[in-house]
Amino acid sequence: MKLAVLSESPADETAIAILMEAVLGGHFKHVHPGLRARGWPSVEQVLPSIIRHLHFNTDADGLVVVVDSDDSVVHTSEHEAPSYFHPQCRMCRLRAVFRQNTKKFPAAHGRNRIFRGVGIAVPAVEAWYLCGRDEQVSEAAWVEGQATGQQPYSRAELKFRVYGTDRPNLQLESRRALEEVRRQRHDLRRLENDFPSFAALARDMRSWQKNS
Amino acid sequence: MIASVAFRNFKALRETSLILAPFNLVIGPNGSGKTSLIESILQLRGLARLPLREPLSDGERRPETAEITFLFNPPFDGLEASLSCVSEAICDFLQVTPLPRGEGVDDWAGLRARLLSMRSYRFDHETIASASALRDGGELADDGANLAAVLAVRKQKHPEEFARFRAELIRIQPEYDEINLVEKTDHTIELGLRLVGSDEVVSADGLAQGTLYLMAILALAFDTSPPAIVCIEEIDRGIHPRLLREIRDLLYRLSYPASTGETRAPVQVITTTHSPYLLDLFRDHPEEVVITEKHGRTAHFTRLSDRADLSSLLEDGSLGDLWYSGILGGVPDER
Repeated sequence: MKLAVLSESPADETAIAILMEAVLGGHFKHVHPGLRARGWPSVEQVLPSIIRHLHFNTDADGLVVVVDSDDSVVHTSEHEAPSYFHPQCRMCRLRAVFRQNTKKFPAAHGRNRIFRGVGIAVPAVEAWYLCGRDEQVSEAAWVEGQATGQQPYSRAELKFRVYGTDRPNLQLESRRALEEVRRQRHDLRRLENDFPSFAALARDMRSWQKNS
Repeated sequence: MIASVAFRNFKALRETSLILAPFNLVIGPNGSGKTSLIESILQLRGLARLPLREPLSDGERRPETAEITFLFNPPFDGLEASLSCVSEAICDFLQVTPLPRGEGVDDWAGLRARLLSMRSYRFDHETIASASALRDGGELADDGANLAAVLAVRKQKHPEEFARFRAELIRIQPEYDEINLVEKTDHTIELGLRLVGSDEVVSADGLAQGTLYLMAILALAFDTSPPAIVCIEEIDRGIHPRLLREIRDLLYRLSYPASTGETRAPVQVITTTHSPYLLDLFRDHPEEVVITEKHGRTAHFTRLSDRADLSSLLEDGSLGDLWYSGILGGVPDER
């Protein structure tokens, strides 16, 4: 399987690749060069062009996109209902971009469409890294904080808890990301339970194996 | 180091002030005071070299001329330094005044030593690429002209520091695997980089401009005795947008040494850019971004973090795009 990852930094890409391997249960080939976006909303703006490029110009089988939710509406089971679309939910928006941009493409390179993998890190990828290490950090805690107006932690605090500074350099980010996802890769059940928006990404990827 | 600077009638900075952070990224249109901010600090350094003059009496003051007033962070927050100027651009008089409270009231010598170590860089790739005399290998020159000699001296006298510089360079530019520093018979040093997996060395004049600028910035960031204040104009010049994160990290290394495990004193950094891509990297730290605005012939400063609606604006746009759109200010006037 040949896959592309659209991420914000090489550190994120490396960590996401390890989680993908854990979900898929094996190695996959990467599309080069690595795809980068400059955070939201740049991801949403550049995604149609990336899907088109991968579909027509490469033999990639799938594209994984992971973005931070920041303060946006968190994807819930309600959003999974057929035809449901929440305009402030980044998962709903990115899935819609995939849908709109793949349905009109003719088959190319021996496949009908690029497989979709969308993950939203709530509120930031550092929360995934802390899963199983910091009991306070979970998607439910963040959603409850949104409801009450009192967030349990800030994105800067999450960075501090992972890196020991809110200004980590790329090397430190990469090293810590690797340490944390290597800890989790043997058993993703906790990550999928505490972060349903990661579970949604994992479901996307597992569906590829059925559909390929 | 410098806590704030207030301007009156200095070039386009007619009546404005700015609180300075440990790290300051200054954005704004051409001619809006970015360079003037740096020049004011250079003028302070220049006048700090001279013996202090007696305070002016009220009758001697020239209210119509330019004046720049600096306040400092501890341990020098008990002193105020004021520059009086003979014209809109040239200051000729430094007055240092003790304040009613704060530390360092009697330590002008200590503050002066810190100010004299301030450096402003405007790197030039052609001069960086030229051979430089080994004897000039002390402090990096303002245009980076002696980079080869600085690296040669560092390699000789501080091999661990040089090794860290080398490791970082080849991590960021993986097409190279070695730094070549060749001493010629006239005792000048020539710089080159060896291409990975070959014996071929690319001489400095064959290296990309961005690679030369990156090496100069790396040399600053990995200096174990850096200046107290570093100003760099157009920090993004020649650098690929994907490498701007590395540039930001290097500057943070100067300003926040503890974040990379360094134990030396922090360096106050003031840098300018016209790159929306670099600005994007400051989304989590808007307090580090200074916007210069120019209306007609008058310019003033604002801090990005002063925008109360910033977080809601960022829900639908990147910082760079918001800046370009004009809603953050800091864009040129158009007819």
